[in-house]
Amino acid sequence: MVRMLSVERLVKRRGSREILTDVTFRAAPGRVTGLLGPNGAGKSSTLRILLGLDRADAGTALVDGQPYRRLRQPLRTVGSMLDGSGAHRSRTARNHLTWMARSNGIPTRRVAEVLDQVGLGAVGGTRVGRFSYGMCQRLGLAAALLGEPRALVLDEPVNGLDPEGIRWIRVLLRGHADAGGTVLLSSHLISEVDQIADDLVVIAHGRVVAAGPIREVTAGYPTLEDAFFALTQPVAGGR
Amino acid sequence: MTFPNTVAAEIRKTATLPATMVALTVAVLGPVAITLINAVGVRAALRSGRPELTAYTSPVEAVFSAVPIGTVGAVVLGVVAVSGEYTANRANIGGGRQITTTLTATPSRLGVLAGKAIAVGLLVAVAALVAIPASLALAGGIIGGDAPPTPDGVLSRSVGAGIYWMLTALTALAVTVFTRNGIAPIIVLVVNSSLVSVSVLLSHLTPLARFLPDLAGMSMFAGDLLAFDEALAPLTGGVVMATWTAGLLALAGAVFRWRDA
Repeated sequence: MVRMLSVERLVKRRGSREILTDVTFRAAPGRVTGLLGPNGAGKSSTLRILLGLDRADAGTALVDGQPYRRLRQPLRTVGSMLDGSGAHRSRTARNHLTWMARSNGIPTRRVAEVLDQVGLGAVGGTRVGRFSYGMCQRLGLAAALLGEPRALVLDEPVNGLDPEGIRWIRVLLRGHADAGGTVLLSSHLISEVDQIADDLVVIAHGRVVAAGPIREVTAGYPTLEDAFFALTQPVAGGR
Repeated sequence: MTFPNTVAAEIRKTATLPATMVALTVAVLGPVAITLINAVGVRAALRSGRPELTAYTSPVEAVFSAVPIGTVGAVVLGVVAVSGEYTANRANIGGGRQITTTLTATPSRLGVLAGKAIAVGLLVAVAALVAIPASLALAGGIIGGDAPPTPDGVLSRSVGAGIYWMLTALTALAVTVFTRNGIAPIIVLVVNSSLVSVSVLLSHLTPLARFLPDLAGMSMFAGDLLAFDEALAPLTGGVVMATWTAGLLALAGAVFRWRDA
């Protein structure tokens, strides 16, 4: 089944400030799509609307043509990770994943499976409050993988990971896309996106400034870094 | 068929929160401890032949005057079921709050709120089913043969006390949806239910105070303990309190649906 994520002319205001303006892009199955932009560009806001957490003032964000809020067992369709573990600090990792599994009718055996998969098998009984940043990121990933979803939506997934962890997640996401899954990840780290993404959406000041296969976006620039700064710097005399 | 999963997940989530254990312990041990103190005082007064020293001589009243302390546990339970969702993790481990996980797992806001209300209601009911019979047995055992005959309506007052706790917990839950932080609701509601009831104070000014949620609800179990002439009949009081609770929950649902997570 196709798992297309599509964002169409999204507008979001906070107070009188427009933080997203006409944001449009797609994340296709079999590809890793990188949402790249400086801090505060609107990456997290876009992903939160796509995941049904926040409301858009205009535009649509759809999973296979449906708003996320209409999905019946969303964890089986879209696995997501926003800031950190997403777990209450006084819970154990296992307890957190167990209530999540229960909420979407996911078999409990998946809890041990994903804990092993992300390398937290030995600390499943430890309270999340005692985890390091890297362990919290791994728990967040375990939660995303819990329902064996075809699509993954990850906000800054490599934050807090050590080099070994970064390599591991790169292999994991590549494998997911190669198996036909959809991966949408955000990052402000140019080199990470360069190594992991097939398609690129560059966002700055709440607007998409470039989108397409990574080679097309970087065409005419020596490196992605050069392309990134050329695309995201405000044009002299512009807004 | 996703709602049963939501309810099961919310029960598990609420029941396994460490703060819930504290709340349930307070709800059970609080009334038992106060009953013990009350009953020892009554027994001493009866044995010394001066029953006028206590406001009541029945073991039943020793129990029902201890009910408000259990309300404290109910308040804490209702508050933490919601405030736990909004507790932020430290920024140096990535920050984040459980509410994002909850709402990505179950996008239906009303489903989540209903699931929480059922979970909290069930846990409070369990606490009441343990605390009230245990307190009655304890008071009966201590005052024993010195006690006057058991008055009527002990069962209906016991059920009323349990319902009072449940409705108080649901009120606390609804209020915490508005505040998204547990501190203010806990302080206000605990003080109101254990130390000074604003409604009881107001009742000295106007008989309309009997329609305020806590004072209305107390008529379900307090009997003559409620030093207030215009108190509502138990059933009426229960209906009034339930209406307040339902109204607050409906408002909480509207806010929860409309607000960004």
